[in-house]
Amino acid sequence: MNRILLVEDDEVMPKIIARILPEPEYHVDVAVNGKEAMQKLEDNNYQYDLVITDIMMPYANGFEILSKVKTHNQEHPIPVIIVSNAGNEDMIMEGFKLGVDDFLKKPIIPAELIIRVKRLLMKK
Amino acid sequence: METTLSDILQEIRSIYYYAPLAIKIAIIFIFIAVTATVLAYLVMLRSRYRNFRQNRLLRKMLPIMDDLLINEIITNPNIPQDVVPSKVALNLEPFDALPLHRRWAREMLTARIIHYRNNVSGSAGDLLRNLYLQLDLDKDAMRKLKSRHWNRKVEALTEFTLMDMPISDVTILPLANSRNRELRAAARQAYIKLSKNEPFKFFDSVTDPLLPWDQVELFRIITTTTDIAIPNFARWITYSSNKSVVSFCMKLVVHFNQLAAVPAIIRLLENRDHVLRADAIEALGRLKIAEVEDKLVHLYTSQPLFCQIAILKALGRIRSGRHIDFLRNEFLHSTDFDLRKAAARAIVKNEVMARGVIDELLSTTTGENLLILKHCMNPLIKY
Repeated sequence: MNRILLVEDDEVMPKIIARILPEPEYHVDVAVNGKEAMQKLEDNNYQYDLVITDIMMPYANGFEILSKVKTHNQEHPIPVIIVSNAGNEDMIMEGFKLGVDDFLKKPIIPAELIIRVKRLLMKK
Repeated sequence: METTLSDILQEIRSIYYYAPLAIKIAIIFIFIAVTATVLAYLVMLRSRYRNFRQNRLLRKMLPIMDDLLINEIITNPNIPQDVVPSKVALNLEPFDALPLHRRWAREMLTARIIHYRNNVSGSAGDLLRNLYLQLDLDKDAMRKLKSRHWNRKVEALTEFTLMDMPISDVTILPLANSRNRELRAAARQAYIKLSKNEPFKFFDSVTDPLLPWDQVELFRIITTTTDIAIPNFARWITYSSNKSVVSFCMKLVVHFNQLAAVPAIIRLLENRDHVLRADAIEALGRLKIAEVEDKLVHLYTSQPLFCQIAILKALGRIRSGRHIDFLRNEFLHSTDFDLRKAAARAIVKNEVMARGVIDELLSTTTGENLLILKHCMNPLIKY
């Protein structure tokens, strides 16, 4: 089973992702803000196969989560996909500077997300 | 002894009959005030109870709607993949579970569809739009568009824009010229986003001036909307009788770097309106059209201060270095502070070619002129 941490403050996205990445192949943990995401990462000792995060969120933004994930285990970092409305050039550049593995702009194409998730999980 | 209600009423009636006129009037006022207060409370209670019931129903409906949208539309494997999403005949039977004969339920489903379309695109987004049409939810928005209340019209326009629903020109163009600012902005935004062929057609029919705030809003919409055909704005610069449209189109020409519109802007240098002339000079400077420098310098002495400053700024932006002497003379001999400042800034911007002149001015000028030059040379000061 692939464990995915989804960090998203919009209630719709987790419902869609949970449906397109179904159990038992995937297990999606949802955090509704940056603080909860950090807590979940700590509680589960970073045992996730993939993190999907938004950028604009309360308490801690997606970039903070990204840098925390990437600095935790630098040899085998958890792949991170950013899925965000705020996809301007500066933000995309910032994301890639911090080591994001993929960047998807909302609204997403569900089939595309599935392919990208599978590709990153296979790489890992 | 028992007192009945009729006894009390009888007592009140007798008091009322034998009371002086002032007391009678006071009693009538008290009666009206108490009745009105009770009625107001009853109306408030009724509306609160209705809202409470509606919210309870909405809370119950929301997960059902989400399940239907996700399972029946977004991730339904039974939807044929070989048919264009907009042509798929959707199975609407599961949606019978929703009370769609009620307006609030239809409004909520529409809001939910829009929310989902903000999150998913591609064929899933098209299927959601298809569902919106097949459930006739667009008819509610059309009714709203015909409402007498501007806020309902704005709601309808926003809905049509988000659902990518075309609206006929006859319906939307009058709204694009509405006297209500909010409605006007929403209609223009909708027109630009929804009109596939001529998104700027309303420029032809704008009669009132585009206010600065309108221009800011329009500029934001035009420059951030994807998939719109950008026309050659020279058309309106040449033919529009609305000065604000001409001025706004010049800003768009600069933004989109439409060099094809430059001849139309150059023709405006002969315009009698000095505000339009200044805008044209500014646009040419921002487009860095070196060919007009000679013409600008030639026009300079006959222009009002407003345009003279625009010319100096344009020379600074073009930076060809061919008119350093002219700028130097203006800096040294002009009596107007703003002109000297604009000239100094233009010299500084021509830095590479004007190095010698800058050094000379630094060593020969004194007092206020030296202060202006040093101010303009400071890269930390923008204005």
